[in-house]
Order: sequence, then structure tokens, then C-alpha cells
Amino acid sequence: MSQTTGAGAVAGAESLPPVFDEAGRRELDAVVARYPTKAAALLPALWMVQRKHGWVSPQGMAEVAEALALTPAYVKGVVTFYSMYHQHPVGTHFVQLCTTTPCNVCGAEKVAEAFLRATGAKRLGETSPDGAWTVVEVECLGACGFATPVLLDDDFIESVTPESVPAIVARYR
Amino acid sequence: MVASAVELRLRNSRRDTANQFVSAEAVTSWRRIYNSRAKAQYFLARGFALDRDSTYYFFLTMITLSIDGRAVTVPNGATILDAARGLAIDVPTLCWYPRLPVVGSCRLCLVSVAGAPKLMAACAAQAEEGMAVETETPAAVANRRSVLGLLLERYPTDRLAPDGQDVAVGAAGFDGGGPNEFERLLRRYAVPLRPERHHELALRTGDERPGDPMIRHDMSTCILCTRCVRACADLQVVGVLDVAQRGERAEIVVGGDGDPDHAACTWCGECVRVCPTGAIHEVLPPRRFPKERVAAPERAVRSVCPYCGVGCQVDLHVRENAVVRVTSPWIEEDTPNSGSTCVKGRFGYDFPQHRDRLRAPLIRRGWVKRRDRWRYEGPAAERRRGPWLSIDDEGERPKPRPPERAVGKPLASLSHIPRGPDDVRDRVATPASWYEPFREATWDEAMELVSQELSRIRRERGPDALAVFCSAKCTNEENYVLQRMFRAGFNTNNVDHCTRLCHSSSVAAMQRALNTSAASGSMREVEEVSDVIFVAGANVTEAHPVFGAAVKRAQRRGAKLIVADTRRIELAQRADIHLHLLPGTDVALFNAMLWHIITRDLHDRAFIAGRTHGFDAVRAAVEPYTLQRAQTITGVPAADIAQAAELFARGPRSSTLWAMGLTQHAAGTDIVASLLNLILATGMIGRWGAAMIPIRGQNNVQGASDVGAIPMFYTDYQSVADPAVRRRFATAWRVPEESLSLTPGLRVTEVVAEGSPVRGMYIFGENPIISDPDVAHAEHWFQALEFLAVQDLFLTETARLADVVLPGASYAEKDGTFVNTERRIQRVRKACEPPGEARGDLEILIELSNRAGLPAPFADPREVMEEIAAVTPSWAGVTYERLDMAGLQYPVPDRESGGAAFLFADRFPTGDGRGTMVPVEYLPPSELPNDQYPFMMNTGRQLYHWHTGTMTRRAKGLDAREPVPTVELNPADAAELGVFDGDPVRLVSRRNAILIAARISDRVQRRQLFLPFHFREAAANLLTNPALDPYAKIPEFKCCAVRVEGAA
Repeated sequence: MSQTTGAGAVAGAESLPPVFDEAGRRELDAVVARYPTKAAALLPALWMVQRKHGWVSPQGMAEVAEALALTPAYVKGVVTFYSMYHQHPVGTHFVQLCTTTPCNVCGAEKVAEAFLRATGAKRLGETSPDGAWTVVEVECLGACGFATPVLLDDDFIESVTPESVPAIVARYR
Repeated sequence: MVASAVELRLRNSRRDTANQFVSAEAVTSWRRIYNSRAKAQYFLARGFALDRDSTYYFFLTMITLSIDGRAVTVPNGATILDAARGLAIDVPTLCWYPRLPVVGSCRLCLVSVAGAPKLMAACAAQAEEGMAVETETPAAVANRRSVLGLLLERYPTDRLAPDGQDVAVGAAGFDGGGPNEFERLLRRYAVPLRPERHHELALRTGDERPGDPMIRHDMSTCILCTRCVRACADLQVVGVLDVAQRGERAEIVVGGDGDPDHAACTWCGECVRVCPTGAIHEVLPPRRFPKERVAAPERAVRSVCPYCGVGCQVDLHVRENAVVRVTSPWIEEDTPNSGSTCVKGRFGYDFPQHRDRLRAPLIRRGWVKRRDRWRYEGPAAERRRGPWLSIDDEGERPKPRPPERAVGKPLASLSHIPRGPDDVRDRVATPASWYEPFREATWDEAMELVSQELSRIRRERGPDALAVFCSAKCTNEENYVLQRMFRAGFNTNNVDHCTRLCHSSSVAAMQRALNTSAASGSMREVEEVSDVIFVAGANVTEAHPVFGAAVKRAQRRGAKLIVADTRRIELAQRADIHLHLLPGTDVALFNAMLWHIITRDLHDRAFIAGRTHGFDAVRAAVEPYTLQRAQTITGVPAADIAQAAELFARGPRSSTLWAMGLTQHAAGTDIVASLLNLILATGMIGRWGAAMIPIRGQNNVQGASDVGAIPMFYTDYQSVADPAVRRRFATAWRVPEESLSLTPGLRVTEVVAEGSPVRGMYIFGENPIISDPDVAHAEHWFQALEFLAVQDLFLTETARLADVVLPGASYAEKDGTFVNTERRIQRVRKACEPPGEARGDLEILIELSNRAGLPAPFADPREVMEEIAAVTPSWAGVTYERLDMAGLQYPVPDRESGGAAFLFADRFPTGDGRGTMVPVEYLPPSELPNDQYPFMMNTGRQLYHWHTGTMTRRAKGLDAREPVPTVELNPADAAELGVFDGDPVRLVSRRNAILIAARISDRVQRRQLFLPFHFREAAANLLTNPALDPYAKIPEFKCCAVRVEGAA
């Protein structure tokens, strides 16, 4: 709800395509209809942004704030609270691997190194030079019996070893 | 923080001890909360059941508990903290703040309660019958020390002197003024300081607003109390700030991207006010206000803000004869603003110290004194001219592009307005050439010349060849003395002021219908009680921001908001129903609403029968205005009109607010009359919560009218044509009865007109060259006068045409009273002396009156008020002593009366006590768009500027926000014209043309424009239509047809 709406309303950000265009708007309306208040649709709306852009930019936050009649600061507060919303652009493929105690004992760190080697990313959290891969470590994916578990985009892969990594990466490349 | 910016951070001035809010009286008896809205509001917000008769609030049930061994009785529902404050026991708090939602997150106010297994948060725990509370037990103190110790881990302790001494002025960020609220607690609980190198966590960070002209952050001292977040969201209802990165890196963020511009910030400074550590702080103009001076003011003076009609009380901090800072009163004090201010009130105070202030009287070169008489011997051709550009010329000069709104970006990356011959920031100041036609003079010379020439014109051309413009910016006392001088000393009723250009049509319509000229109710009933708020033609959040916030709070409490406006202003975006009408079609809208109410049988038959005349005629008149027809005329969907009408009529308590959007039309009186019909037919007046409020624009436009600065009335709207009234005033002023004219005088718009008999003028603090309709014509008219004297702070566009300019005093340099929009008479107090030889305005007027032969036997404003009270029945009980604190809402007929929060409970002040409904027909605006002039142009205020810009354009922070004139243009129209944001465009009306920069905005509808009227280099009133309302003679500022040409 900007006081002086101008063309510069979201100036500064490199322009990304709007999320809530006609189709996006319809989808959002359907989501909003499931909840008692508009604000309750905030998390799904942010998912829509992340699906479309790959991350949640300030521009995306502003769009969500406008669409759900929230303040941009409130939306930012929520985005920054959840680690699964990306506040920076990430690779086309997003690899989350568990390095918590049981997995660590079973050699998760070696798996991480293998992923970095196979994808060309320099370190955990950094996107590979070709922009295709980002590897991060996470706390417990809930599969301690199948160490090391990896969540690659939306696919859950169990019992990953350093040796199986190149084949996995090749499959998604 | 940006190193180059010189900044000042000040300790928050929250008062020390617990009890600001409960007076000694209340400590002994909680049962009665004496007439205090702030107090009652505080309890109502917490869900207490309060009962109210006209004066007192009562609590319903009470409980008794003991705190530190002392018994206290509090209303059921009060917290332990409330009870402790009642006993003046200081329980430490950080996150708690009066009127903000309780979050209970700082854990500092934990206290021991007998029988409770653990400490309880005093701010959140409800007091219970028989509870035994101890506030400083070893456990409570140990907890506080540990909480404070944890906060210290991220606090810049190296900048605190370890022995608890005050930090030296000049240490980064801590510029004297003693310890802040948090640091005081550190001392109170003797928390040991650890050097920063031993801290385990880095100092906190957050958004810092680099480059911001008024508010900046240094989050290293932030303790995350979130008072700023809640103050912004709950008091101002904006929500710029929030906490992000929750977890160990939690921080305060500004909007989504750090840019307050993108988060709808209004720079009101509420966050600055509540911050306990100065992490959020003001930026003050450093050259004018060295930080040592600001940090240690000599005194603070309670006064009233000089801008709009809300009448906010403010504290002026004074050092070395200058107002160095403005703060707002404590939030729980009973002030009309509940301690809030807007950006203008808090940051627009530096204009009195501007280098342009006039320091000595000026006399136009050419006036010489020969043998005791002043004669003009200068070259006639140059009379009243100068080497300057006229307003007319300035309109055509190219304008720089507005700078990119880029607060929140590094300073180095900001674009700057190009400097050069067209640099507007230099043009804001008085150009040097404007002084050339003048020489400095002594007061004696100036006064002598003014009284000689005014007397000469009166003698040679008759009294009505003189006219005076009083000032809605000046005090009641000054306006009273001025109109008294012209009426009794110069025998003319040609006395008027800018009310003519704002609410004169409201006054005309209200006089006709209800014989009243002011609001029926109060702002607080709108905020607290009204069920429906109908805002018509008023951009409250920008023009009266503090009241705007109250309206938003009312909506948050559950009130329904109906907004009738041609633009999508902030309130329209928030409204439950936005009646998005076409300009000037208001009568059709209100008539249709009334007809719909009648067809649905929602009108108040009992009220109509018992309290009004003329309903049948109105009923017949509105019958043709069906929803369909109204939709055709106004462009508002019929369903919206119907829904709004039903909502308004069902109430049960509906308040009506309106302003210039209705009044500044050639049919202004009709428009207001049709709105009054709607109010009367539904009985939405005369009850607590059903208020009728024409929102007053200037700080004292209500008062100036009340004390007789209008052509047809003496004080209190007593007619000049009534011989009995004349007799009374002649007696009071000790003049022969015949010397007072029975003929009503000319109005502002009739004075400045072709064929006007006026040849000599005295203008007091007004700037008609910018504010009159068709200013190109006005400029020529003023140039042709025989004599013009102007009393002002600066050499304004009008003053430069004068023969004599008398330097007056700003709001901070005088004593007196202002009347706000809810009839509240409040004291204005002198904080400092006028600069140089400039004098107090009252002093000038008294001397002039004496020289003109009308003795003005007043030593000070208090004595003037005594005379006003003697001749003004509804102010009869007013004395300065009684105006302390929140002032008095007149009528105050005697010393016993406490004023009236709302009027007309059982009768209107008419002969038979009934109101009159007047049938009105819709008339289109006098100028409609056509092929040649396809756009409809609207004019009005911006948030950061004030009227002709004389004050705000010389206030550094405000001018930085809106430095250049812009016109709002719909994106679709802009695309059609090939105009981008900031591009120059030429606006051409049937009268004139101006060059200006475009601001692309979807706030305006297609084929409409919005042009702010603050800028002399693109004066809106070069274009406006001088068509006048037949009753009130108010010009049609709101509608004129223009053409837009790309000027690239």
C-alpha cells in the first residue's frame, strides 16, 4: 500500500516476471479460499514465488505483500525465519544433504565433498559456476537408518555414498 | 552507518518514574478517572468495562491487592504493572509501552507473587484479589541482572564509561544527554560491563536508512524490544518495521528491501519517540543545530504545532534562542494528539531559523519623507515590480527532474538534482534580487508610513477602499486586534482571510442548516466510538496525518470506513467501500444515497419529525436521483452507492468527515448542503459517536473565523448588519456607534477582482499571490494597488509587491491561542525571541492600532483574551488559566463550564431548535473537459508540504522529501502521451500554462490529474478556474479542464 506509487515502486531490483499474473492470480485465489484469512495464505504464496523465480526476491516479497494486504516488512520477517525460502538465487538443482550425528558417523562429510567435486561448486552453500548446482548441509532429514540421505530438488534419495554421487549428479545434469 | 553524515542521537526522553499516568488523586481513588481520554482509552484498549457519563469514566468492578506491602485497589482486569504504577512503584520495563500491545518479551518486569511457583511478568499478568506482590525480591533482582547482562552481550559497552559516568559528548553515537533508558537500568541494577572484545556475539546490525533526511538507525544499540515495530503497526497503522532473521541474528528491518519509500513510511517519527536506546534517531540539520545545543536544551516549552487543524501539542526544545528539536508529549498525557505527531510537526520546525527570515522592516525604495509626510518619488513604471520573474513567467521555466526516491541506498549512489540556473533548492530560498527594490528601515518609519497611507486612502477614497487579510496561521488574539483595528479604526468590514478559500462553503451551508460554523463533535469519538466513518473529499492521512492515524485505528477497532474520493488515496485503499466518483459529482452521489435510504426506510423518522424542517422538499428533490442515474453521473457502481448508503444509515453511530474535496467547488455550498441533508435525515449528529466534522485545514482557521476575521461577522458569528450587535461592540471598543459599518465587507475573492473598490491593503501572514485562483490575474491586481503593507516572516511572493514589509514572529516566538478543528482552544507559548529587529505580531498590531487612532489598551495576549471573552458569548468562560493542559472545547459560556466534547444533543442553535434541510440539485463543474482540454485537474496538499510552501520549503528535512513540483498522471494516460516518470510535461488550461515533471501514479483515475499547490515555480493556481460559489464566494480549485503536452 504505497503512499506515492510511482513507476519506481520496485525500482532497483532487476525486473523479474510478475508471479501473480493472470494465471498466478487464479492459483493464489484458490489458495486463499482455503483459509479463513488472507494472511494465512502467506506461506503458499511465497512457495509460488520461489517456484517461479527460484528464490524469493524483495520484488517477490513486495508482490506477495500487495496481494495479501500485508506489510513488506512482515513478509520479510516470515521469509527470513524459514530456511527453505531462498533469499538469494540458487542453482537450478538444489541439493540438501544431512550431516547430523548419525550421518556424520556414516561418512556424510565425504558425501558432501563428493557432491562438490561432481558439481563443480566451490563450497557448501555456493552455487557452481555454471549456475546449475547449489549444495547445502541440513539438520536431519529423518532417515538416520539410511545414511546419508539427500534431498535433491524434490526427490528423496537414501543411502548415498561418495561413490554413488557422480551417477546421481549425471542423472540430473 | 555512513561516516560522512553528521548525525545526532539523543536519549529517549521517556520520563523517569513510573507514574506519569496516575495522578496523586487517582492513587487514592481509582474509581474516578477524571475526564481523561488518554487514560480511559488505555483501559478501554485492554478490555475494561468502563462506564461514561458526560464528564467521568467509571470502572465497573474493583479488586484489592498488595504490592511491596502497600494495598492498592484497581479495576478488575488491570495488570500487576498497572497496579504498581498506581502506587508510583517503578517496576522496570523495556518492551512495555503505554497503549502498545503487551508482548511480555523482555522479561525485565518479572516480580515475585506470594504462592506462585515462579516469577510473573508484571506487564502481562492480571492482578487478582488478595494477591501479594513483591517487586524487588532477590529472585526478581537476580533475574533482571541476568536479563540485562544478556542484552549487554550485544551492546557497544566500550562506548559506555565503565565507572558509570556519563559518556563524553562526541563519543561515537552517544552525544551527551545522559544515559538512555536501557543504560539507566544497567546502573540501577549495577550490571557489570564487559569490554566488547570479550563479547561472544558481534554487535547487532539491521537496516539503517542511509541517506534519509530525517530518521536513521544505528542498530548496534538495538535491544530488540520491538516497541518501534508495534508503534508503527498499532499507533500509526503503517507497519514499516518488523523483526527479520529471527534467531541469533534477529534484527529490525525497514520494509522488504530496506527502503522506507517502498514500505509506505510517512516519516512521522513514532519509532524515534518510543526507542529506548536511540538506535532509531533523528537527523537534524547540523549546521543550524550543533549537537551540543540539541543534546542539552535550556528548556522545553509546551506549545501547539503550526501546521494543520488537528492542533497537536508539541514540546519545543530551546537553546540559545532557537528551537533545536521538537518532541511530542508523553503518550498518556491528555493531548488532542495522544502524544503523536506527523512528519511536519516533528521535523518541520527549522524554518524560523532559516536565513531568509526578515530581521528588519523593509520600505520600498522611492518612498521618502519630506516635511513630515511620506511621498513616493520613485519611478512610477517600476512601482511594485522588481528585477524578479513574475509567477506567470516562472510557470514556463523548465523544471529539473525529481530526484529518484532512493532512501535506503548508499549515499554515493543517490542521484542529485542538477544545480544550475534552474536549481529549485536555491529558488526555495528568497532570491537575492527580490530584496533589491527595498531598503531596510526603522520600525518608526515603517509604522508611520503604513498608518499615514492607510489613513490617507480612507480619507480620500472612503473606508471601503481599504481591506485587510487576516491570517489563519496566527493567533486568535492577533486576528482579533487586527479586525478590531480595521472595523473600528478604519470603519470598514473588508476583513477576511483564507477561510474563504477552504471551508467558507461549509460554513455557509452549516449556517443555513444548523446556524453553526464548527464541528459538532470531537476527533476522539471518531477514534473510539463511531461504528461507521464516512470520509468525503478529505485526504486525512496526508493533510491531517495524526487524525488520519486515529481513523485507521478506528477501522482496526472494527469501525467501517466509507471513503468518497476521486483519487485512490491511502484511506480509499483501506476503505470498506471506496466511492470512486468523478470530480464535482458529489451532489448526485449524496442525493442518491439519501434517496436509497428513504426507499429502504432507513431514515430516522423521529429525528426528522422532531429536530428538522424541510424534509418533504428534500425528499421530492432527491427522488429523481436513482442509483442508476447516480451511477451514470458519478461513475460509481450503483451497488456501491446502495451499500454505502445502507451502512451509513444503519450506523448506529456514523460520523461524517469532510474537507476541501467538497468545498472548493463552484457548487461547494450545495455539495455540503446535500451532505448535511444526509446527516440530518439519518440523525447522525448530536450523539457521542455521531459527529459532523468539517476538518479544518489551518492551525487556527477555526479561531480566526471565531474572533471575527470574516467580513460579515464580529466574534462568535454575530452579524455586522445587526444594529444591536453593533451597539455592543461600539461600547466594548469605546467608539461611536456610527463608526462601525453595518454593511458586510468584501470577501477575499471579491477584494482581488476586477472592479473591486479596494486601493490599499494590509496583509497579515497570507500569501494570496500563490493561494488565489488565477494568480496571474491576482499578481497584476496587486501591482495596481495604491498601497500595500505585508506583515510576514519571509519576503514572500506577495510581500515582494509591498510598499512596506513588517517582519513578524513565527509560532515559536509568540504567546496566544489557536483553535483546532474540534473547537479546542489551546495555548501557544513563546519559546524564543524573534530574530533581529523582528517583533511579536501582536505588538506590531497594537502599535499600528494606536497610531491609527484606535487605542488598543492591551499589554499582552492575556488581556486581549479578556476582551474577546467579554464580547464572545460562547467564549465567556475562557481564561488563560483554564486553557492549560488540553485546553477547552467551546462553547464555554461561563467560568463553571468545562466546554463541550459534542454538541446538539437535544437542539440546534437555531430559533426553534430545529435544523433545516435544503433541497439541492446537481450541477456539473463550471468547466468540463472537451477535445481541446481533455483532462480534469484537481489540486491539493502533499504530505510533506504546507500550502504556499513559505514554511515547509524552508524546512530542510521536509523539502528534501519533495523538492520539486510534480503532477500525478495515470499510467495509461502517460503511456498514451509517451511520458515516463519524471519527464517534463506542459499543462495548459484556458487561462495559463506551466511546465512541470510528471509523477506516474495509479492514485489518479484516467483523464484526471492531481497538482499540488505548494510550488511557486509551478503554481497550480495559474491554471485553476476562478469561478465562484454564489453563496460563499469560494473558487473552484478542485476542477478545471487542462491539456497535457509532452515537453521533452
